[in-house]
Amino acid sequence: MSEPTPTHVSERECDVVVRTRRLVAEDVVELTLESTDGHPLPAWTPGAHVDLILDDGLVRQYSLCSSLSDDTYRIAVLRTPDSRGGSSAVHALTEGATVRIRGPRNNFPLERSPRYLFVAGGIGITPLMPMIEEAAASGADWQLHYGGRSRSSMAFLDALEQHGERVHVVPQDEQGILDLESILGSPDGRTTVYCCGPAPLLAAVEERCHSWPPGSLHLERFTAKEVVRESADATFDVVLQRSGITLTVGAETSVFDAVRAAGVSVLGSCLEGICGTCETSVLEGEVDHRDSVLDEEEQEAMDTMMICVSRCRGDQLVLDL
Amino acid sequence: MTGTPSGTPQRRLADVPHDAWYAAALSDEVGRTPLARTVLGQRVALYRTRSGTAVALADRCVHAPVALSAGRIDDDDVIAPYTGFRYAPSGQCTAVPTQDHVPYGAHVHAYPVHEDGSFVWVWPGRPSLAALRRPPATDWLRDPAWTTFGLEWETAASVRVMQGNFADITHVRHVDPEIAPPALGDGPPPLLEVEVTETSVSFWRDFPPAPMSPWQSLVMGLPGDQRLPHREEGEFVSPGLWVDRWTTTLGDGGTARWVFTHALTPTGEGTTRHVWRVSRDFAPGPAADGTLVPQFTRYYARVRRQLEDMQRILDEDGARTPVFVAADAAATQVRRIMDRLVADEVGRRD
Repeated sequence: MSEPTPTHVSERECDVVVRTRRLVAEDVVELTLESTDGHPLPAWTPGAHVDLILDDGLVRQYSLCSSLSDDTYRIAVLRTPDSRGGSSAVHALTEGATVRIRGPRNNFPLERSPRYLFVAGGIGITPLMPMIEEAAASGADWQLHYGGRSRSSMAFLDALEQHGERVHVVPQDEQGILDLESILGSPDGRTTVYCCGPAPLLAAVEERCHSWPPGSLHLERFTAKEVVRESADATFDVVLQRSGITLTVGAETSVFDAVRAAGVSVLGSCLEGICGTCETSVLEGEVDHRDSVLDEEEQEAMDTMMICVSRCRGDQLVLDL
Repeated sequence: MTGTPSGTPQRRLADVPHDAWYAAALSDEVGRTPLARTVLGQRVALYRTRSGTAVALADRCVHAPVALSAGRIDDDDVIAPYTGFRYAPSGQCTAVPTQDHVPYGAHVHAYPVHEDGSFVWVWPGRPSLAALRRPPATDWLRDPAWTTFGLEWETAASVRVMQGNFADITHVRHVDPEIAPPALGDGPPPLLEVEVTETSVSFWRDFPPAPMSPWQSLVMGLPGDQRLPHREEGEFVSPGLWVDRWTTTLGDGGTARWVFTHALTPTGEGTTRHVWRVSRDFAPGPAADGTLVPQFTRYYARVRRQLEDMQRILDEDGARTPVFVAADAAATQVRRIMDRLVADEVGRRD
């Protein structure tokens, strides 16, 4: 094997201070995060999220819900009883505490569109807040359908009030669940749908949008999508063009792990195909996509892949690494 | 009737984000005489009001295809040549010579402007989004602790080609062996660290102690054979701003720092206005400038010629997927961000 490539790529990490902490709904805490060194925090765009690097190596992704014109970041975090530990650690942070963040990165960018339909379930409202600000500023036509258990569990109702009839708040205990038939029943080539929320809502919205033109729907997931395996994983070769290395990826390992083991630096964070950090350009070959980031159209284009979970349909992939 | 009568800006360049701040002019180029510039294929007229506020208007009268920049300033307004139409800083037409009332809806686009004392930054994209994006900072250009010189010119190469050049300093010794520090010697350079966020890329390399070029030791007043460690840094700050740094750690633990600022403003497909500035926080004064100015002017002129050759080959022979090498890691990240910003603002719906 040739010498490892003398290149190391990483995402920016920095410490931030919790400037304010407030309860914005039942079990939802909002933290304002400020730079510790006076330098402005990195710029971002609507739909972006950051990793919070918590104690014991716990890394969790939270969408930025601040205004783009703010110098600080804001996140809003729901404490979940079945939490994998992240949300209670975030809830335990007090004002003045220092926490390490990585990013921001964005797998849920807001594409230009004359009309937007925003569909939020519960805490899924967070990435949609800056999107709404941007859509409103750009003069686009937009509507928000925001479902939640009850009014008291739904964050940002006060801030959304200013938008009047564009915002449809649907607390389940008053009005039942979101009526997706009336919201998404008429496919429209001029409307782009952005949806974030719990898995059942995403699945239902995805189902409804099958009759919409390709590329209409953009989803942000909190957890990985179930992938149906077509057959047992096979061994294949990966050519890393920039590094001049060819690797064999065995059935039991991922492209990501094989690349790292060869000493080639790649970005990675969740390793479950949800955060989009390890997205890599594909120069040749057919990808067996297993991520939850790319939409169908993007997957079919075969020009990029999440190397932490996705594999190869043939014998060989050539990657821009 | 074709086109938009009010001159609302349209996307003109395929590969370039329009929702971003670009340096349309240097602050001291904009005054009480209108200045014509092209920003992302859009004609822009720049001037100042009596209170000194910079104004950027679409450079075309709504009545006839004449340039406001060829007109004259009166109070805070600009008066178009030939037609005599008067425009306020808001772009609103406020008087026409031939009738008492102003035609309804007669206005030219007023670009969002941010001025920082060095540059007049203009926002060629969707105007209402400008308030939601921070203009890039270049504080060192106005800091008395730094000595700065530089020039500005148009390079017949796209901003993408230029960014590719800045993202990989290893080309320097092939472009201009005389200016290249010996640290950039033969063989693979040291570990390249690349750090990304959603919208920025920065990278650095730490060179082990190496001697300096004769011109370096001359301006630094150090013996040429003294071996000192150097750090090279580069940063894609935004589509319109690139910053490089070169820091030498001195024997006493202090540092001598260079900052190379590149304001890149695409003017058309394959043409870019390039403002380059070389700043240093040591050896102030004209003596060092006497050595440095010709040195860097020659170097950046050679870079320009090289980039123009590349653009010509791309134009004549078509783009091809290049063979990538490890040193392209930063360029790859920059390309990815640029592509995404363009894709988002183009969208898939109309």
